[in-house]
Amino acid sequence: MAESSTASGRWRRAVRRRIRDTSRAVGLAVGRFDALAITALVAVGYLAGYLWAANLLSVRSGLGVSVTVVDEPLVRMLERTGQLQFEPVALVDLWLVRLLVSPIDVLVGVVLAGLVGLNLALAYLALVQPRSCGIGAGAGAAASLPALLSGTACCAPVIVIALGVQVSGTVLTVLPWLLPLGVVLLLGSLVYVGGLVET
Amino acid sequence: MNWTRRGVLAATVSVSLAGCLGDSDGIGPYEPEGGSEDVTVEPMTASPDETAVSETALPIADEQLPVSYPLETLRDAVVDGGVPQDGIPSIDDPAFEPVADVDDRFREDDPVFGVVREGEARAYPQSILVHHEIVNDEIGGESVAVTYCPLTGTAMGFERGGVEFGVSGNLVNSNLIMYDREGESMWPQMLGTAIEGPLEAASLREFPVHWNTWNDWRAAYPDSTVLTEDTGYVRDYGDDPYGMYNPVSGYYREDSDPIFEPLRSDDREPPKRMVLGARPPEGPLSIDLETLRDERLLEIEHEDATLLAVHDRSLDLGFLYRNPSEETFVLEEDRIVDENDDAYAPDDVPLERVYAYDAMWFAWTGFYPETTHFG
Repeated sequence: MAESSTASGRWRRAVRRRIRDTSRAVGLAVGRFDALAITALVAVGYLAGYLWAANLLSVRSGLGVSVTVVDEPLVRMLERTGQLQFEPVALVDLWLVRLLVSPIDVLVGVVLAGLVGLNLALAYLALVQPRSCGIGAGAGAAASLPALLSGTACCAPVIVIALGVQVSGTVLTVLPWLLPLGVVLLLGSLVYVGGLVET
Repeated sequence: MNWTRRGVLAATVSVSLAGCLGDSDGIGPYEPEGGSEDVTVEPMTASPDETAVSETALPIADEQLPVSYPLETLRDAVVDGGVPQDGIPSIDDPAFEPVADVDDRFREDDPVFGVVREGEARAYPQSILVHHEIVNDEIGGESVAVTYCPLTGTAMGFERGGVEFGVSGNLVNSNLIMYDREGESMWPQMLGTAIEGPLEAASLREFPVHWNTWNDWRAAYPDSTVLTEDTGYVRDYGDDPYGMYNPVSGYYREDSDPIFEPLRSDDREPPKRMVLGARPPEGPLSIDLETLRDERLLEIEHEDATLLAVHDRSLDLGFLYRNPSEETFVLEEDRIVDENDDAYAPDDVPLERVYAYDAMWFAWTGFYPETTHFG
């Protein structure tokens, strides 16, 4: 019992230490211009990719400039269109860009994009001031993928439409978990890479 | 942008697109193709609850439509399409504009779904219905639902008696399952028959909704009206998530695979080949639309019935008639001429019309595997 308790205590201390290291690493990333620039650039790029993959952002010619807002947007924005997707409340055309503004989807995208940006920024810091020779960029990039594939369009998941293949019931069961899985992977990757940064 | 988005996402997970199924074996137009005779089906035997039928505001058909499976089998085959109930919102307050007021919203060959009913003609653009699937409308003072399932290529109309239909988010045989907002019975669109709920085994009253091109529609019905993008929702109506019809690409390519496994597979035609399907009492039948387009007039012996299939060149539509007296008709120009030399428009032949609708082959033969096919 005492041994177990000791092991458990050691594990808890290790987790706390890892979280503290990660917090410090994140603080370092947002405090350094080069790391912050990487975070911002990657986050903006990922957010654009996420919205595009979710059919909320498209690029085409001849759109002009206009904004269309639905009636009762505060009610409409809470209506679900997918497992974790919600109704857009505005359509914004800016010359070449068409954006469907779904506030909750944008919020989810910003959180994901922030996590992806921090992952890449910490991977960069791990390279320039390593505690060890491990490189975490691959883990962060891989962790960013599931959420990109989690969107639903009309009556099928986007990734299934994209692949154009028949899917089994098992695959259909797994698809709704892609977004939560992506968040967990990004958090796990962040903690892993955070431990590699010399703060 | 659609194909690009799909292509990039597909490449992201490094999975190649599915292979194609085989082409039709090219059997002649007047003879049914083999295979269907060997299929045994276990048709629905359930009857609707008479009390529920008498109490519902939904207009229920006097005769049940044929269903080739026990309802339990169909319920077991229901899959989650990935969207919640009403996640694909029906249009409940549709707005229309005169054909003459439409500027450059459509290209000539863009598909629209046409309804002519009670002296009124209305067009519903596929580009809008792909995002909503159901329009709860009123035509000629009668409340109707104009419905479209992009995954099976089926556009169908139903009388609704003031009850609204919505999109359940579930599919069977890739087909839209509608729910009614009265008692929430579940209605697969192609069957027109509830598979679950208080009206289980009851069938709706159907009416034809035809695939047209914008150019053909406005030429035939210049005084009609067209559904506008003022749907109450914001969508990118220029963006079809499945592909394109003009030109055909993506999911709509006739040799591409369906996303969800069909109830049954039949490789006599490519999976997304469009057929004209009908379910007369003698048994379901399908006619290859391309064949009908080429032949323009087909006399069909189907079980004990003689049927006449006619192609309307002006609207590129197929019509099916029952021809019990086996009267001889011939085609002269664009008119159908009977034995008395009386000429009729393809949609106005003086015979009993058999309700038929266009569908992708895999969807039709999945629901009606015993179908007699004229390819």
